[in-house]
Amino acid sequence: MILRWLAILFLLCAGAACAAEPKLLEPEKAFVFSARLAGPDTIEVRYAIARGYYMYRDKFRFTLEPAALARGAPQLPPGKIKKDEFFGATEVYRDEVRITLPISRDGQPERAVLTAVSQGCADVGVCYVPVEQKTELRLASTGSAAGDSGFGDDALSRLFSAPRAAVPSTGPAPAQGDDTLIAQLFHGEAWLLIISFFGFGLLLSFTPCVLPMVPILSGIIVGRGHKLTRAHGLLLSGIYVLGMAITYALAGVAAGLSGALLSAALQNPWVLGAFAAVFVVLALSMFGFYELQLPAALQSRLAGASSQLHGGHFAGVFAMGVLSALIVGPCVAAPLAGALLYISQSGNAVLGGTALFAMALGMGVPLLAVGASAGAVLPKVGPWMETVKRFFGVMLLAVAIYLVSPVIPVAVQMLAWAALLILTAIHLRAIDPLPPAARGFVRFSKGVGVIALVAGIAFLVGALSGGRDVLQPLSGLRGSAAEPGAPAPGVAFQRVASLAELDAAIAAAAGKTVMLDFYADWCVSCKEMERYTFTDSGVQARLAGMVKIQADVTAGTAEHQELLRRFRLFGPPGIVFFDPAGREIQGLRVIGFQPADKFVAVLDQALGVR
Amino acid sequence: MAAAAGYFANLWRIGGLGPAQAPDAVTAILGSALTTLDGDPQTLAGFRGRVLIINYWATWCAPCREEIPLFVRLQREYGDKGVQFVGIAVDQADKVRDFAKEFQINYPLLIAGVEAVELSRQAGNKAGVLPYTLMLDRSGRIAASLVGGISEQRMRGELAPLL
Repeated sequence: MILRWLAILFLLCAGAACAAEPKLLEPEKAFVFSARLAGPDTIEVRYAIARGYYMYRDKFRFTLEPAALARGAPQLPPGKIKKDEFFGATEVYRDEVRITLPISRDGQPERAVLTAVSQGCADVGVCYVPVEQKTELRLASTGSAAGDSGFGDDALSRLFSAPRAAVPSTGPAPAQGDDTLIAQLFHGEAWLLIISFFGFGLLLSFTPCVLPMVPILSGIIVGRGHKLTRAHGLLLSGIYVLGMAITYALAGVAAGLSGALLSAALQNPWVLGAFAAVFVVLALSMFGFYELQLPAALQSRLAGASSQLHGGHFAGVFAMGVLSALIVGPCVAAPLAGALLYISQSGNAVLGGTALFAMALGMGVPLLAVGASAGAVLPKVGPWMETVKRFFGVMLLAVAIYLVSPVIPVAVQMLAWAALLILTAIHLRAIDPLPPAARGFVRFSKGVGVIALVAGIAFLVGALSGGRDVLQPLSGLRGSAAEPGAPAPGVAFQRVASLAELDAAIAAAAGKTVMLDFYADWCVSCKEMERYTFTDSGVQARLAGMVKIQADVTAGTAEHQELLRRFRLFGPPGIVFFDPAGREIQGLRVIGFQPADKFVAVLDQALGVR
Repeated sequence: MAAAAGYFANLWRIGGLGPAQAPDAVTAILGSALTTLDGDPQTLAGFRGRVLIINYWATWCAPCREEIPLFVRLQREYGDKGVQFVGIAVDQADKVRDFAKEFQINYPLLIAGVEAVELSRQAGNKAGVLPYTLMLDRSGRIAASLVGGISEQRMRGELAPLL
């Protein structure tokens, strides 16, 4: 239901072209910077990265004022590998990155100013110019205790000022809440939400909570006596459901309106945390730990009022629907409150009203069936209704985890998913033996349980083995196959780093043709040669008879410069050939990318020189 | 196809829709101080009167790199019809020089700091991102303000009425 819908939208948005991406975030909102003193001699810098955005691992620059504070290089966690058509694998961060800066406290200055420069891009295909952000840290107060893991929970060390972007915003500010994670969910198709809520309501109608409505409705219908036709019964129950639906719709509008006020606060960890806590409380009630109800006195007064109304008039039936919503509302309180909270985060009153209206219609479907059958059909009570309730409980817990996911470390998030999935699995009797005579449904639910168990274990194993990707929990176990800089298949170069090494290599290759390839990581056509030309079988066949030497001049040291100067090259790309006597074959240099067919011709020429 | 169309439509949408008329922004952009790859000061004022296509980019920006070959081709094709591409790189001169050599960039490249991107916000680059391409007609009016990568078809479509 909601969650599946959430998941669908989430996946859409995680992809390259999120159709729901409303507009580009300002860089300081796409990459939210904060820093704090994490211990007596470390500063922790945190970037919260909006979904659909990423930061380059190798583009961070940190400077401290006073400079004497800096001690050693920043510790950057490994990033995720992003394939770049030209530059090969680059390491990037998504969601969140925490960088540790070692500091030296010898001088005991009271304050430090941290300047952080970072670079990032959005998946839609744009990049931001380097962003410089500054924050002031007070160092004096953390003599003993190291800060704890959460941000903002240590009043003494949580002293970062609001980050100030070096790039001030001159354009109009984006609409409030547009950039919140949750609000993004609502840029999808509204009808999808509405259909989801209808289904949600339909499911709700199978909880024991809706049962009290059936006698009320039956009472109305039976109260009409023997003259009731099916059409009339359907009409009456329709009006009844409408009354209920409009009541819920009003609640939805209210929730939407309150959400508009709330949305500004929705990126605050405390607010998200509070919402998540409410969802957990609601979930526990679905598991039957306690009942959430209106106070009994109020309920009985409303029930009394509804029995005073005469069922005959349409208006009376309508009013009864309204009252029933008020009575039964608290009975389905947990999921309803969940729905209302969820709606409130959209900040959209119209959508909220429509969604809740659809939900109430969904809830009313069995009631319409009761009416249409003139009271003959009633849903059967059974333990399966408890199962539906528990299902809601699991969903509410999942929403709770989802809500706090932007503000908790990925590892904690994965552990939470693991716990939820494993507990659900146990609930579904995933590891209880099946009785031999088990029926289809029992087997099916055990199957679902086993899937949940395995998924939960995957999250657990992933989290404990250093995997930090919720969508690929086991990625931490992956070998180093995706490491950058893997040599092109087939061409094994002998590396040289200086003139002396080169001369030695050429001398050693006496009697063979030599190919010298200048290479650098930043050189696009070198990469292209590697990928498209050197991998060609014709090229490889000809290269087999040559000595292949490569000078990797990425670092640009003085020795590299010397190498380039010898061949009067400005820089890579450059491929130079030597004849078997060790002399350069003049006029045969390859500068820039060359496709395999042309390069084969060059190689043939080189091999032809004796 | 549809996905690609949607993708570009999306980029078009996030670009803040269409040629905003901001003559002051154009004046400021044309007059702003840039440097050549050799470090000499230069502005864009000398390109007035041509169909000027100003591309903000950087070598580290993958989506920027991808469209450079298209610009090179279009410059070759339309150069004698009064079309002038200019690349403003928010980057280091040596990296830009290397890149220009490799891709045989046939139009002027100038170096700028982040303030150039700031200035481009007024012309329509609201979020201040790269790549951003600003097209001016011969009288210096903004003909197109394109955030993100541009398809060849779109680029040709924008150019055609300006020739």
